[in-house]
This record gives sequence, structure tokens and C-alpha cells, in this order.
Amino acid sequence: MSAELPADVATSAQRWALAGLLGAVLLNVHHTAPWCLPVALGASAWRVWAAQRPSRLMGRALRIGVAVLLTLAVLIGFRTLNGLDAGASLLVAMAALKLMETRRARDWLIVLGAAQFLLLAACLAAQALWLMPLYAAELWLLCTALYALGAGANVPAPAPLLRSSGRSLLLALPLAILLFLFFPRLEGALWTVPREDEAVTGLGEQMSPGSISQLTESDEPAMRVRFDGALPPRAERYWRGPVLHEFDGYSWRRARGDFGAAPALEFNGRGYRYQVTLEPNTHGVLIALELPRGLPQQSPPVSPTFDYQLIDAKSTGSAISYRLESFPQHRSLETLAPAVRALDLALPRARNPRSLALAQSLRAGAHSERAYVDAVLDYLQHGGFEYTLTPSRLSFNSIDDLLFNTHEGFCGHYASAFAMLMRAGGIPAHVVTGYLGGEWNSFGSYLLVRQANAHAWTEVWLDGLGWVRVDPTAVVAPDRLTSDFDDALLGADEAGASARRVPWIARTVQAWQALNAWWQDEFVHFNMRKQLNLLGALGIKDRDLEALVVLLAAGGTLWLSLLAWRGRQRSAGLPRDALSRSWRALERTLRRGGGARAPHEGPIAYGQRIAGEHPELAATLVPLTRYYAHLRYGRHCSSVQLQHFRRAVRLFTARMPR
Amino acid sequence: MHSSAPSRSRYKPRARLERAVSAWARSRQGEDRAPLTLQSRRIYILPSRAGMVAALLLLVMLLAGLNYQNSLALLLCFLLGGFALVSMYECHRTLSGLAINSALVESAFAHAQGDLLLGFQNTASAARTSLRLRVTAVAPKSFELAAHSSSLVRVHYQALARGRQRIDRLHLSSNAPLGLFRAWTWLHLPLEAVIYPAPLRLRPLPPPVGLPRRSERERRLSGEEEWAWLRPFHDSDPLRRVAWKAYARGAPLMVAHYDAPAGAQRVLGLGCLRDLPLESALSQLADWVLECERRGDSYRLELPGETVPAGHGLAHRRRCLEALALYEAR
Repeated sequence: MSAELPADVATSAQRWALAGLLGAVLLNVHHTAPWCLPVALGASAWRVWAAQRPSRLMGRALRIGVAVLLTLAVLIGFRTLNGLDAGASLLVAMAALKLMETRRARDWLIVLGAAQFLLLAACLAAQALWLMPLYAAELWLLCTALYALGAGANVPAPAPLLRSSGRSLLLALPLAILLFLFFPRLEGALWTVPREDEAVTGLGEQMSPGSISQLTESDEPAMRVRFDGALPPRAERYWRGPVLHEFDGYSWRRARGDFGAAPALEFNGRGYRYQVTLEPNTHGVLIALELPRGLPQQSPPVSPTFDYQLIDAKSTGSAISYRLESFPQHRSLETLAPAVRALDLALPRARNPRSLALAQSLRAGAHSERAYVDAVLDYLQHGGFEYTLTPSRLSFNSIDDLLFNTHEGFCGHYASAFAMLMRAGGIPAHVVTGYLGGEWNSFGSYLLVRQANAHAWTEVWLDGLGWVRVDPTAVVAPDRLTSDFDDALLGADEAGASARRVPWIARTVQAWQALNAWWQDEFVHFNMRKQLNLLGALGIKDRDLEALVVLLAAGGTLWLSLLAWRGRQRSAGLPRDALSRSWRALERTLRRGGGARAPHEGPIAYGQRIAGEHPELAATLVPLTRYYAHLRYGRHCSSVQLQHFRRAVRLFTARMPR
Repeated sequence: MHSSAPSRSRYKPRARLERAVSAWARSRQGEDRAPLTLQSRRIYILPSRAGMVAALLLLVMLLAGLNYQNSLALLLCFLLGGFALVSMYECHRTLSGLAINSALVESAFAHAQGDLLLGFQNTASAARTSLRLRVTAVAPKSFELAAHSSSLVRVHYQALARGRQRIDRLHLSSNAPLGLFRAWTWLHLPLEAVIYPAPLRLRPLPPPVGLPRRSERERRLSGEEEWAWLRPFHDSDPLRRVAWKAYARGAPLMVAHYDAPAGAQRVLGLGCLRDLPLESALSQLADWVLECERRGDSYRLELPGETVPAGHGLAHRRRCLEALALYEAR
């Protein structure tokens, strides 16, 4: 090992490696433990300082102690050593520790290996388009550090070093693209990896509007939708997400347990076919326009629930895309299962008593279920309620507090209150969370739905109709429905929203979003299905491994010959100036005639020898070789003279018998 | 390079394998002759240990990318893999097309280290770095060749016993640019070293002989010759050298030993070394040759069957040492 690597590592190579490691740590700073960056910085600074005093490297016992300490820190911070964030933090810790004992090139290679793994962790953690230049720069830096380490004692200056590594990376790019496109992808995960609960704003497992005093609406994209044909009208862009059934008087939660199949539906009106690209989320529901017919073609297949949700746990890990067809107009053909009726009528005992009383009085005044729904909506519309993103916190009896005390809230508050009142009136109801609306991006021809479009509404069961959507927020704040999200009611991103009203900024933002969408759709979500589509377009049948291998081998060979061709160009090493090219042409001509130049012969001697052997050439060849020597070794060689010489060689060559 | 004995014995099977492979390479490459350019078909390349570890890391990266179904991680993995393959190609190219213009082996004394001189020429427009030249079992010589340059590289070899020693093969390798791969070739150049007997001082230098008596005496009288030391009288010593004055003072019969002046001639032969084993005697002669050269004396070597006429200087020294080296050599 040590025989293969230079034992001494030049200081500049050490600096390159340190820079590479720090860059990798920086790229992971958003998801690793907070102490990672200080530890890595400290270790690097110490290593630079210790470079002058190699004997100061840390002792073995101390190193082991620090290793245990840092592992404990990770364990305490993440409660696991498994998973991306904990793993990356541990990797930073170990790389920092390795710095304490880096003496030989091998140790530095290990540090660089850790840095490469950190870059991989960063790639796994975040794939936004704007990060790509950073990742590319880091990769380049790491490769340059490899070159610096490989150079041994005399490391070249930074510029040629960067050029060498950059050239190699560019040469590697065609092969990487080939493999990226055609390397067989897996259908599912080889093993499941735990993922930390990421704080993705928007939809979640539960909804407790009373606990929120300020709803920060995030500009983050939640999903992108491409429609095959026309878009549904604005009022029908209800994107269903998690459905919440269980209510404890304060919070709504998703239903646990098995409630059988959903009631069969009759779809009416026009359908919309679309493709959704869903960003990573925590809820695991494939967001769909109300209400989807059929299932997306997924593997493993998604499972539809009794409340028309499409559950796919995979969507939590990474962004996925799927195709659906939805019909906003629909009618249930069956009656509600008793278990579901019980679930959606359940109310906690002895909570929100005033609301219960209100419901009873309103129900008593309504002659039908439909009339009761209208009565409650009317109550909300004219009860002096306000829509706000900064509501007061609600007490234990949250609905009472909202209806009779604070009179303010956002969609979650009103959906919660409405569903509760429905249940109290004997109408099965549940809260649906999802998104409402979306922004049309004309560059990318897709509808962008942001986390800020998150919305909550209710569905009530009316006999003969089935589940009917009722959006109480629509009566409290009608403009919430009709406006684009960025026009009104946005507390969080006022500046951004108003900037987007300037046309050219809006266009730029849209173009950037379209580029992002393309990046997400075509690159980040390039999966097995897309690979199969691509192969299909190339005429390769599904999963035809043989064809794939042939394709990869052919591409690889092509790539290798590109390398070889390039290498030949470089190592041929002949001078490339026009004069030499002309002279070589002359030599070739003479060689064909049987008079190759001996290695020791100068041009004049060569000319004279050939002239001696072939007197008929003497008159032209001797002056020509003299001229060459004059141009090559004399003081000047003007472009006119060069032209002259080239023409003379061409004439000579033309006159030579073939 | 750990060259301690235990570690070498640990790798004995590996050494045997290398010998077998190089023998196979020799049979397929044939013998080399000095102006030669390294062609691709004789350059071998394998990943180094660091390269194996890197391949393992890449495999883990690939699995992670596939498992997370993460396109970016896969692209990173493929880029790094491609980068490593480019480095393999560059490693190969470090040797490919390298020209060896001359090969020369310098003589050495037995069991010492000798020198081998190889003239390399790099006609390519790229530098060739991290080159290593090694003769079996001796520490390798590292060198670089700048673009469009040539260089004479001196590498040691271990001289064995007196006589002719074939430098069977040279090992030229490079692990440029990253150390992940090592390309090498075996050079089978017709290199034969003449190994001189290791100099060994057992007896003093025999006195100069064969100069005209009168002129010697004249020189002695005129004080040209410097008196050096006295030694016990042997029967064969000329009487005129006996230190009579010392004898008169009661000392035993001694012979004055004079340093011969420039131009004095000594005859070096096995004659007075018959009591020594042949190898020791030859070693003693080699030592005398060096001693004469150091003093600037003219000397003549007389071996049964070969006589080197008197003379001195580097060429003469070499002739004498070669005669000693090859005397009754196997």
C-alpha cells in the first residue's frame, strides 16, 4: 500500500483535501447536527496548524475518547445512528477525527472518501435545481483534491490542477449520462431506510386549528399538475389530501382501522386527465382532484381507502409523479356503511356544549338535512366571522371559543366548526385537507400548487347524493376561493407576492419555476418507469436486460474510443503549427516515393540525399528543403512566406508520381 | 516500501506469481532492444489497493442511490465512476508511447549496488508523472518526464557475485494521476553487468618493479623518492633496499619501502597471493588496482591466460577490473 502511494503529502494537497471536506460539510449543514460545522472547522484549523508540527497529532486514547463522545452526541441528537441525517452527522464527526491522525496519503484518501459520501448525503437530502452548481463545484473540488494527492511531492499550481480534474470530469460526463439513462433502475427499495420527520409545511397527520396563532404560508411548491386537456374551472380545483375523521373537541385526526371499501360512485360531467408531480411530504396521500376514477399505475399499487384517499407510503420519501383522471361531479350509488356513519358522527362527550346547543336549535328549525347545512352556512356567513392567518389561540372547547368568542380563524377553523356542527345535527361529516387552486405557469404549461394553497374543507353525507363537498371558508371569505392565492390573504410572503405582480418579475419567476419543474420531472424523477418509456421509444421491450447490456456496452465502447482518440491527439505530440504540418506532408510524399528521412538527418541533408538519388527532383527539392530550414530555424517566418512554402509543397506533391 | 525481511517473506507467493506472470509476459513480448517505444499491448494495468477501496465505495454509493431511488445520487456515483475510469486511461497513457532510447548498465563491485542508466524520451505534449523504475528487489526510482523532454534516469541494481550478471528485467510503472490504478510494463533489455570482485585488503601493495636501476638510484639519491616505511626483510627483497643504517643500530633486518613516484610501475598478479583462495586473491587484486589508481601509479595485471599491459586511468582500471571479474568466471 505504502509503496503505491507517495508517503509524504504536500501541504497544498492537504489544503485541497481540507477544502473538499469543508465544502461537503457545508452542503450538509441544513440536515446534520448543529455541531457538525464547528467541529469540522475546528478540526481543519487544527490540522493546518499541526501541519508544521507532525509530532503533535492526537494520541490514540484521546482519539477513541473523542470518537465515543461524538457518537454519543449523534445518538442523543437524533436518537439513532441510522438514517440520513444521523449518518451524515456521524460521517462528519469521523472525518473530523480522521484529520487528527492524517499522516500519509492513505489517510487523506480516507478523508476524501468521507467527503464524497457527504456529497452523496447532500444529494440524497436535497435535489433542488439551484443546488446543482454547488454540488458540481464540490465534486470538482473533491476531484481536484484527488489529483493533488496523487501528484505526490510536487503538486502543480491550482490552475493546471483544476484544469486536469475538470477535463477528466468532463470526459466522464458522457459515460455518466449513458449510465444514468440506461443503468437498470430498481422497482422499489432494496431495504427501507428510516426518514426523519421533516417539517414540511402544509398537510399533516392531524389538524388543530386552535393551537395555531400564526399560520406561516410557505411558498414551497407542493405539487405540479399537467393537464392533458383543459383545466377545471377555478372553483373546482379542490385537491384532496388526508381526510380527518377523529375529533376530540380540539384536534382532527385521520381514521385508524379498516372501514372497508369506499361507496361506489357514478361519475358525471367532464373528466380531467392529468399528471401530478408531488413533492416529498409527510402524509403519504397521493393528492388528487376531487374525485379520481381508477388508480394511478404505480408499483407497488396504491391502496384506495373508504374515504377516496390514495395512500402511497413511498411518496413521503421522495417526490413522485402519477397520472389520474378525476370527475368533479359525482354521486354515490351506495349507502354509507354503518361503521363509517358512526365514525363520522362521533363527537366527544361534554365538549363544546354551547356549540352543541346551537346545532340542536338550528337543526330543530331546519326541515331537511339540506336546509340544516344551509342554515349553518348562513350562520357562519352572517355571524360576524373574519378570515385571518393570525387567529387567537383557542381554548379546550375550541369550537365554542371560535363561534362565541374569537370569531376569527382560517380555513381549518371553519372546516372544524362546520364539521362539528354537522355531526351534532346528525349529518355524517369529516374534514378534508388538501389544496385549493394553483397558479398556472405558462412557460411550463403546468399548474403549480404551493404549500400556501393548503386548504381544509368538509364533506357531508347527504342521502341520495353521497359525500358532498361543503367549503365553509367560502362563505366566510368568498375571495379566498375566487382569487389566485397570490392576490389576497397572504400574510407570509407579501413582498414576494407583490413582486410577482410586476410583469417581468412574474415572467422570470415563472420561467425559473418551469425550469425547476422540468428538472424535477425529467431528472429528479427519472425512475424505472421513465427509463422503460425511454427504452420503449428506442424500440427495446420492457425489461429486456440483454438489450440494455448491449446498449451499455456499445455506449461504453464508444466512450472509450473517444478517450483513446483524445489520448492519441495528445500523445502524438507532434508540433501542430502550419509549417510543421506542411513539412510533414512533404516528408510523407517523399516516403511514399521510397525516401524516408533518417532520424539523424536535418532537412537540408535530407533534401540533398534525395536529390542525389533522384536527380530529377534536385531542382525543386533542394531549394524547398533549404527554404524550410530557413523558415524553421531562421529569424523570421512571415505568414506570406508560410503561404509560399505551403503552396510550393502542394505543387511538389501534386507533381510527384503516385 | 517496507523492505524488511519478514514482510518480504510474507509476500513470497505474490513474488512467485509476479515471476510467473512476467515470464509469461516475456514470452509474449519477446526481447527488447534499446531504441523502443512502449506500445499498448505490452502495458498492463490493474487497480491499486486504493483503487479497490474506491471501487467498493462506489459500489456502496450505487446501492444507496438505487435504494433511495435518487437520480442525483446515481448521477454522482456514475460521474465518480467515469472519473475513475478516465484516470485509468490516463494512467495507461502515462506509459503508452514512452520511448526508451538507451539502456546502459554500469559495472559494480560484487554485493554492492550498481547503477543502470536508461534514457527516456517523452514526445507527447503532456507530462508523464509518477513514473517508477525498479530492478527486482531494489528500491524503485521515482521520476517524471515533462512534455517534449528526455531524461537519463539512474536506477540501482543489486550486484551479486563476481562475473557476468544479467539484468533480466526492469519494471517500469506509473500510478498517475490518482493512484487508483497502476500501469506497468516489463522491459527485457539485453543488459549485462560485469561484476568486479569486491575489493578486499589482505596484503600491502607490492612494490614497483621493472624501472631502470640507475635512474631509480639517481632519483633516490636526489631525494625524488619518498621514504615511506620499513618492513621485515624477505628473501626475495633486493639487498639494496635493506635499511643498513637501522640494522647497524641493532634493529632486525628491515627493508625500506618507498612510495613509488609517478610513473613507477607495479605488477599485480596472483603470484604472491597463492596462499589465498582464488576469490580472496582476486578481491585483493581489485583492491590493489584501486589503490594504484588512487596513487596514480602505473600498473600491470598479470593473470594466467590474460595480461593487461601497464597503464593507468579509468579505461585501464576498467580493463583490469573486468579481467579480474571474468577470470575463470562461470
